[in-house]
Amino acid sequence: MFRLFSPSRPTGLAQRLAGLALLAELTPRELKIVAGLVHQRQALAGEVIFDEGEEGQAIYFVLAGQVTICRQGDSGRPIALLGAGQVFGELALIDGGPRSAQARAASDCELGVMFRGDFFNLMESHALIATRISFALARHYAGIVRQLAAAGGAQP
Amino acid sequence: MSRPPYRAGPLVWAGVLAATCLLLALLQKVLWLVLPFLFALVAYYLVLPLKQRLVLRGLSHDSAAVAVSVGIFSLLGVAMLLSAPWLSAQLPALQSGGGRYLEGGMRFLGETLAWLEGRFAFAARAQLGQAVLGGIGDFVENFAARHLAGAALAAAAWFPSLLLIPFLAFFMLRDGWRFKRFLTRAVPNAYFERTLYLLDQVDRTARSYFQGLLKLTVLDAVCLALGLWLIGVSSPLLLGVVTAVMAWIPYLGSIAGCLLVVLVAATDHPGNPSVAYAAIALFVTVRLLDDFVFMPATVGKSLNMHPLPTVLMIFAGGAIAGVPGLVLVLPLLGIVAAVGETLGAVLSDPRLRARHRFARALLREQASRDLRC
Repeated sequence: MFRLFSPSRPTGLAQRLAGLALLAELTPRELKIVAGLVHQRQALAGEVIFDEGEEGQAIYFVLAGQVTICRQGDSGRPIALLGAGQVFGELALIDGGPRSAQARAASDCELGVMFRGDFFNLMESHALIATRISFALARHYAGIVRQLAAAGGAQP
Repeated sequence: MSRPPYRAGPLVWAGVLAATCLLLALLQKVLWLVLPFLFALVAYYLVLPLKQRLVLRGLSHDSAAVAVSVGIFSLLGVAMLLSAPWLSAQLPALQSGGGRYLEGGMRFLGETLAWLEGRFAFAARAQLGQAVLGGIGDFVENFAARHLAGAALAAAAWFPSLLLIPFLAFFMLRDGWRFKRFLTRAVPNAYFERTLYLLDQVDRTARSYFQGLLKLTVLDAVCLALGLWLIGVSSPLLLGVVTAVMAWIPYLGSIAGCLLVVLVAATDHPGNPSVAYAAIALFVTVRLLDDFVFMPATVGKSLNMHPLPTVLMIFAGGAIAGVPGLVLVLPLLGIVAAVGETLGAVLSDPRLRARHRFARALLREQASRDLRC
């Protein structure tokens, strides 16, 4: 009877998560723990994943396909185009503010979604995973700062 | 630009209160299942942190649930084995003590009524003492003949359903997360984040309510035990714990607990009614502490609700579903409020509905793309 509730996700979700920059440092056992908290969703090309100004309740991983990050109502001029292995929606999760931009599926795509509560619970109760994810996030933002500095012609 | 946060309006709250009353009326019809489910839920929320800890250490959900269940059952088994000799030694004392305490209570009541008749002419004219004591005496003498067979039958009927408690608790622990996934898989993308938030809110409300209830029980037990020890009543800790657990039934439980302690106090100190009066004063004080200090800091936090509708709903719960309604109404109200507020936020958000319609149109277009000539 409980087969009814059994997850229909592929057993290789942990391996697929290993391809994400944010989780690249995790061991297979740690990836299995994280995979237990990730929901898999499909989005069609053109579908809105979240809107600018929305309250952020989750962090997203692109497992397959492409996602456009753009200003609300300005999908013709994307801020960023994310492919498999990249993460988005983490900013609203970290600072608790509203979503800073709109996310839209650029092609049919498969996403991993981790709820805010599960993410923080994981970070609070598993020091090793928390450290590795924090470093990966710090590196991710350091990269963005370097890009901005390079674009402005300054040296960080 | 960020949207202002959603706040539930009068329509949502009217719906929440009406849905809670309707659910109470429906739950009353399946009380044989509701009570084991409620106890299983309390057990589930008590041991859930242990299971989550094991899962975050790398165990599978099934292995963690089995490990926690085996651990809890082993602990309970050992505790029962160790306490069995002590309990069997206490049984004769309890049996004789019951009659003794009842006698002591009756004597205290007789003395109080005699004092009232001496002070107030209307009480003497109405022969208050004779009427009250006669009624109680008749009830006690004929209690076994009138109620014992019915009580035994009711206990026999309830026993199988109480056996469901460990069974339900185990499957909640093992498959609760699967059930949540099963629900979320059916949710369209547009409402997905809100649904995750809703499930988390429901879970958080129920968990903090039951954990708050246990904290409140500990606080009550400590205060009552300390107070009873100070006024010199025997077995203060046992009485404190028993009466604190009885207080799970709002108002009625406190009154029954107070009566129990008054019986004990009147038996321990015959001819000294001031101890029984001190016990009553202690109960009133703890009740006030409960209402104004302990409850807002424990159970009230989980409900995040104004005290007036909370108290009104307790009375409504009692009127609709009796004693089980009194126990069930607050956790049910908290959960229905979480569901109602989230549904209100989703249904009153035109953007989310538009996004859902757009996604369905995309799906239709994709499904019919190769059908065009």
